[in-house]
Formats: sequence, C-alpha cells, structure tokens
Amino acid sequence: MESNDNGAIVVADRIEKRFGAAGAGSLALDGVTLAIPRGRVVGLVGRNGSGKTTLLRVLQGLLLPTNGRARVFGTDVAQLGDADLARLGAVHQENRFLTWMSGRAHLDFVRSFFTSWDAQRERRLVDALELDLAQKIGTMSPGNVQKLAIVAATCHRPQLLLLDEPAAALDPLAREALLQSLLELLREDGPAIVISSHALRDVERIVDWITCLERGRVVKDAPLDVLQEGYAEWRVTTPRGALPARFVEPWVISQAVEGRQAVLCVRDPEEHRAHFATRYQAEVESRPLGLERLFPLWIDRGPA
Amino acid sequence: MLILLDSHSGKPVFRQILEQVRFQVAGGILKPGDELPSTRQLAADLDLNPMTVSKAYAQLEQEGVVERRPGLSLVVRAPRGDELDARRREELARVLGPAASAARQLGLDVDVALEVFRQALARRGGDDGKQ
Repeated sequence: MESNDNGAIVVADRIEKRFGAAGAGSLALDGVTLAIPRGRVVGLVGRNGSGKTTLLRVLQGLLLPTNGRARVFGTDVAQLGDADLARLGAVHQENRFLTWMSGRAHLDFVRSFFTSWDAQRERRLVDALELDLAQKIGTMSPGNVQKLAIVAATCHRPQLLLLDEPAAALDPLAREALLQSLLELLREDGPAIVISSHALRDVERIVDWITCLERGRVVKDAPLDVLQEGYAEWRVTTPRGALPARFVEPWVISQAVEGRQAVLCVRDPEEHRAHFATRYQAEVESRPLGLERLFPLWIDRGPA
Repeated sequence: MLILLDSHSGKPVFRQILEQVRFQVAGGILKPGDELPSTRQLAADLDLNPMTVSKAYAQLEQEGVVERRPGLSLVVRAPRGDELDARRREELARVLGPAASAARQLGLDVDVALEVFRQALARRGGDDGKQ
C-alpha cells in the first residue's frame, strides 16, 4: 500500500470544485480539507446543495477538483487505477443501471470485476433486504434499485465505502438491514465509511464522526461524542431571587426566560455549569441535544 | 455483562457503556478478575461500531477500573485500599445530584429530604433508582 498519509485512507487538501466558467461559475466545494482513517464512519451532513454529493464524486475520481488535491489509498484521485477502484465501494444517489438486466444478472456482472467477492455476504444481504433478484431492474421500485446498489457496492470487501443518501428510498425495515450489514462490514473488514444523509437519526447509531458542509465549506469536522457533549439544553430554576431578563454569556446560544425559570441552549455545558449555578443561585438541569437540533446551530453560525 | 443503551438520549454511547461498567464494578456485579467481552463481541451484541466500544474500554483502562492482561482481554482490576468505597460513594453522589436539586427547588428542609431518602432506602423492589 502506497498510503503515506499517516494511515488515512482519504485525504483532501483544500479542494475546490467549480462548475462553469472560472470567475463566473459556482463553487460547489470551497477549500475542503479532510483526513479519514480506517475504521472511521463519517456522517456527512449538510443541506441540499451544500456539496456532499460533489465531494463524494471527487473522492471516486468521477469529478476532478478545480484546485487542491485529493488522495484515496495514497493515490491522487485523478490517477486511481484498477487496484484502487477494486478497494472502493460506492452507492450513488441516482443509480443508472441497465434496465433490461435482472438483479441477478447485474450482480453477476459486477462481481466479475472482483476477485474478492464474498458470495455468502451477498446471499445474507439479499435475504436481509428481501430483494427479489429475478426481477428486471426496469420494473423495480426505487427502493429495490437502491437495495441492489447497496449489495453491489459492499460484497467485494471494500476498504472505503462511499454512500450517498443510501437510506433515502428505504423503508424502516430495509434501513435496519442496511445498518446491520454496515456493522457486519465494520466488524469483519474495518473499512472507512462515509455516509451522506439528511436523516440524522439513521446515521447517528453507526457514525463516530460528523463532517458538516455548508456552501461547499467544512463547518464542522469532529467526533460525534465530542459534538454531543459540546452542547446541552439547560432548564434553569432559581428558587430564590430572579434571573436576568436576558443572559449575555457568549456561550448561551438561545434562551427563553420566564420569571424564575429559563430554558437555555448552551455551548460547552460542563465548563460553565458550576460557575453559572453559583452566580445565579440556580438549579441547572442539563440534557443533551440530539443531532437534529445540533445541526441547525452549525449551519446558522458557520465555523465555530 | 449486560449493557442497556438508550439510543435516543443524546448521551454519547461510549459514555453510557463507561458509566454502566463503572457502576457494575462498584456494585460488585462485575468482580475483580472478571473478563469483559472483547471489543468485537460487545460491538456485535449491542449493534455498535467497534470504535465506540474501544473508546469506552480505553477510558475504563485509563481510570484503572479494568486492566489488560498480556494476550488476554480486559479484566476487572482488584481495587486497592479504600478505592472501592470511594467509587461506591461517587456513583451514589452522581445519581443523587439531581435529587438534591429537586429537593432545593421544592424548598424541602434537609431533615425532611433525608427522611424521604431514608424511606426510599428502606423500600425494596422500587424501580425508581438508577439510570
């Protein structure tokens, strides 16, 4: 392995991607820098048009960056060869498969490119996803096409798996089956996985890292647990005395004050809690914020 | 080892594991010398990314709750001196924090609050206990 990126499978160094003419076109990626090691599961989040899909396509060499460099397995994405591609698995948001093929024929076609194809995994996955391989792709529902794409992308034991909204068309049972199969992959092969998703609930259980894009920029890139513990919701009650009409502490992100009670959304809760409680003679009940509620904070405030 | 995860609590999963193992060790459910399931095994049992389990285990090791035997998995470390006692007090203090806060908000006298706690201690089988 020519990986000289400190063991990182993916390295992006200030990549820019411009669509359209220089100076006039729009910047889909605006200086993205990332490193993803083996075993990490990244939840790639961001609004529509924030650059998630473009980034995933750059990492597969399907689009080349306008500026900056991206390497996968230590190879520049412009130079990815067969050996690199054989270690890569991807599920696209929109799959363009040959509609006249059956699911079975498609899988046989895909597996013919790989010596590492795991037929047992394929069988388990097809069963778990309740996928009918006899059906022609042209007559499959979008959900079933997505299931087929997942099977096709994961059975060759990829060391990097790029999933663009993999659960979007799936019902809850199929989502669960997808999660289970990703967990199995992690236990057996320990690949790096990048999952882009709007449905934060879906990814929260499996990702250990969050990368958030906004207008082509990385506005958050941190371990999930650090982000979870970096914010909290407080219910503040002061049995005696009164609370200020408005808290001016810079780490208070949002607030609702009503007489002797307040609900605050705060940054770095454990750092401030004891001092705050003493200062206002207040009881502080602290609760974590879910990922769904954290997400808007990053988008609105930009890099923190 | 039984771990119960709340995936909707917003509390990091590694911390949930950490706290529950600590509590079980302090309470003697996990005894010195007991072997923890391997990272892989616990990850499989709980449907988790193995990295999450590793993180909890690494911290337990760092805190001296468990130790790694050469070539073996993690085992519960025998406590030294009054370490076990200190840990038990710590665990109880942690769950009593919110109760104390509630007592203050309710304006209960210390004596009354202690009386309520005494009664709660005498009551068995209640599930209004920990976590």
